[in-house]
Amino acid sequence: MLGRDARDRRERCKTGIEGLDNILNGGVPRGNTVLVTGSVGTGKTSLCLEFLVHGSNSNEPSLYISVTEPCDKLLKNIIPYDFFDDSLMTDGKLHFIDLPTVYERLGLEKAEFDFEEVGILISAIASIVRELGIKRLVIDSITSVCYRLKSQENIRDFILKLGSVLSEMGCTSFLVSEISPAEERYSLYGVEEAIADGVIVTGNLERKGDLLRTLQVVKMRGTMHSRAKYVLDLTTVGVLLVPLLKGGSAGGG
Amino acid sequence: MSVATLIAEKLDSFPESSAIALRIRQDQYFDVIRGILDIFAKKKELESIYVTSSIPCQSIMNALQVLEVDTEHIWFIDCISQVMMSVGEKHPHAIYVESPTMLENLMLKVEYLIRKAGGKTNLVILDNINSLAIHNNIKILSEFLHILVNNLRSKNSYTIIFSNEGFESEEMTNMLNLVCDETMTVEEETTREAG
Repeated sequence: MLGRDARDRRERCKTGIEGLDNILNGGVPRGNTVLVTGSVGTGKTSLCLEFLVHGSNSNEPSLYISVTEPCDKLLKNIIPYDFFDDSLMTDGKLHFIDLPTVYERLGLEKAEFDFEEVGILISAIASIVRELGIKRLVIDSITSVCYRLKSQENIRDFILKLGSVLSEMGCTSFLVSEISPAEERYSLYGVEEAIADGVIVTGNLERKGDLLRTLQVVKMRGTMHSRAKYVLDLTTVGVLLVPLLKGGSAGGG
Repeated sequence: MSVATLIAEKLDSFPESSAIALRIRQDQYFDVIRGILDIFAKKKELESIYVTSSIPCQSIMNALQVLEVDTEHIWFIDCISQVMMSVGEKHPHAIYVESPTMLENLMLKVEYLIRKAGGKTNLVILDNINSLAIHNNIKILSEFLHILVNNLRSKNSYTIIFSNEGFESEEMTNMLNLVCDETMTVEEETTREAG
């Protein structure tokens, strides 16, 4: 019991998503590196963006690093949240950076990074976080970064060192992981989930022809949390969550 | 005293957070919704969320228009139009749920409308339990009602669940007795039964 009490005393980074904060017993333990994993169209990016918008609204500078989709395009398709204002960006509370631009500036133009180049990338991200005083970070997606790291050793090293550097700076980070719907693990390379402090899984659940978006926290170091599956909705008031009904008849999932 | 006035008076005696099952006959239907929406909700200044699984919300809106009921503070969650492939033109006060089997989505839409209403007190009408029972088994329906009603109680909202008189199974009666504070049958003199 003592261990549990100690875990629940850790300072929390409230995601601002009420349902998720309840699941996490108050929020993500500050400084945790969380893998947000799921197949396409399950709400990963929206969840992460909302985490950042709430952060910047509560004076925690937030940064979104886009790896695959240009930020301009992403912003055009963002949900018109009731709590989102463009001034968050102009006031320097919410930042968007395209990682390919960072690669270019660092001269990291090879398709595959070696150990040294992984170090350069971590240092570059850490510098940006330090200079902007970032408290919340999203990398979307870590899977796309991992494509360039190739070996499991490099991927492990990258996530471990990045997580450690960010945590030391009090930065709570969400790393987006893309998996195929049939995948039974939580990441493409199978090492990301083992190193991350937390794993949030989003998915699609088909029940008698109905398709429901689901969310489940399967791991979160530093807090007690629910491990049940919830149904989510992406709305202009943010992500809403309700328990998945079982009714003694729910199949699969 | 008219059925509409009678219903409004009875509801007025319940505190916020109450859940009431209302057993009504088809011929009383419009008098009942007028009593709830036009008299009770207006007097209490409630934001009304009308969940329909029996008839499309457009039909209810048309009826309210005929009855000259102000719909500015009434929002609809329609879980039957899409399954009937008859949504047509979407009404700005209506949200559509794909099917009455998507009970979680129904709860999510209620939550959404409550958030949109800000801090105002809400009235949620579930019309009706019999049609939901056509599409869902009693176990999942009981679980749904239990979660929905308790969630609404925690938000100080009123819940009114319609049931068609004469179409209730014993299981449904037990379920309504379990989740509601009171079950009422609409007669000329509305009667209260044990909750």
